[in-house]
Amino acid sequence: MELVQRYIAAVQRELPENKRDEIGRELNANIMDQLDALAEQPGGLTDADIAALLKQMGHPRTVAQQFVPPQPLISPGYMPLYKNTLFMVLGILFLLQVADSTSAWLSSDMSFLLYIKHLLNGYSQDVLLAFTGITLGFWLMSRNKPAANSQCEQHWQPEQLPAVGPHWQHISLQDIFTDLATYLFLLIVIWYPLWFSAEQLANSRFLFTDNAYQLLQWASPLVLLGIANSLWQLRQRFWSRHMLLSNVVLNAAFVVAILLLAATQPLLKLEPEAWRGVLDLHQLQRAATISLVIIAMFPLWEVLRDLWRLKKLH
Amino acid sequence: MTAAQLDKMRLELRRGVLVLAVLASLKQPHYGYSLRQQLQQDGIDIDEGTLYPLVRRLAEQELLTSEWRQGEGRERRYYQLSELGAQLLGQLTDEWQQLNSALGNLLGTASQEKQ
Repeated sequence: MELVQRYIAAVQRELPENKRDEIGRELNANIMDQLDALAEQPGGLTDADIAALLKQMGHPRTVAQQFVPPQPLISPGYMPLYKNTLFMVLGILFLLQVADSTSAWLSSDMSFLLYIKHLLNGYSQDVLLAFTGITLGFWLMSRNKPAANSQCEQHWQPEQLPAVGPHWQHISLQDIFTDLATYLFLLIVIWYPLWFSAEQLANSRFLFTDNAYQLLQWASPLVLLGIANSLWQLRQRFWSRHMLLSNVVLNAAFVVAILLLAATQPLLKLEPEAWRGVLDLHQLQRAATISLVIIAMFPLWEVLRDLWRLKKLH
Repeated sequence: MTAAQLDKMRLELRRGVLVLAVLASLKQPHYGYSLRQQLQQDGIDIDEGTLYPLVRRLAEQELLTSEWRQGEGRERRYYQLSELGAQLLGQLTDEWQQLNSALGNLLGTASQEKQ
């Protein structure tokens, strides 16, 4: 019988404290009844029979979970809201981290690799904190009020559902936040002198020549329009004809601006002394121009993609 | 269909019906082991890992009353249908009979088509 007591104690250890005594007592009574039935069979009851019965009942943890099924950390009713909140908050934190790391990069002699490391380090710390905070918040909500349908789910109308469209019409949050991070990065790179002190400016380095820099400044309204466009997408989350059209115009303008920048010669402000014996300056200028042409291919691809989508929607 | 798929489907099919069987059996008081024996005699085989937690859940929902009694040298917890449980059993029985009749027609038609 010692084996039975050990088994019950093992089950009780897996149970919440307030249910241990009662379930243990009941489990004991049930096992004793089964053992009585076994004892009535020819040959009587042996230790091997007890062990076989307990083995058949299952692992103590399994038995405990049958009595008190494990509860999910976050109730399924909250899951869509939880995932959406997580995505939005992590997206916003990414934007803030891009702004912070870019400012630090421009005001120091940090290399590009160090800039990426700074960005990833900062972002992973933010993610850890936000993930823990949001998960704890939803865990508390799930404990206090396990299932809840949002106001939106209670008061929806079938007539308000969007028309049936191709799968690409739904705009993913990831795409929107990637675009926003890119625009923010560009804005900080272009207008960095505005929020730097004289000392920081003296330490800062900017690779583009004055002509190229002036062109970048002229292009900054485009970046602001890009941010407005992304916020519009964030609000609608569904490609409409107007939205596609504005995206085509915006990306076409970006292609022109990037190609104009690539055509500006000289493009980079390089100190010959610093690069002597390392790389040929002409090659560096050429590599920068080619890189910009490659970069221009991305908005160009979006222009072509959105024109095709416009045609499909028509 | 594989044996695992069949087992899963059979489990799903039996899950709701077991509640009905347990409630119906507990018109008379039973302790865990005697309830299992009773169900087995009536042709419903159910393992203890399913039955005992199910009975506890029904008691927590106040569909069953329970009390500890001494007998044959040790204590046992006896369960019996509560007033609320009896009302629910009545409603579930009606539901089951309607469902059974509808399914009978459906399955009858299906077996005739097969023939």
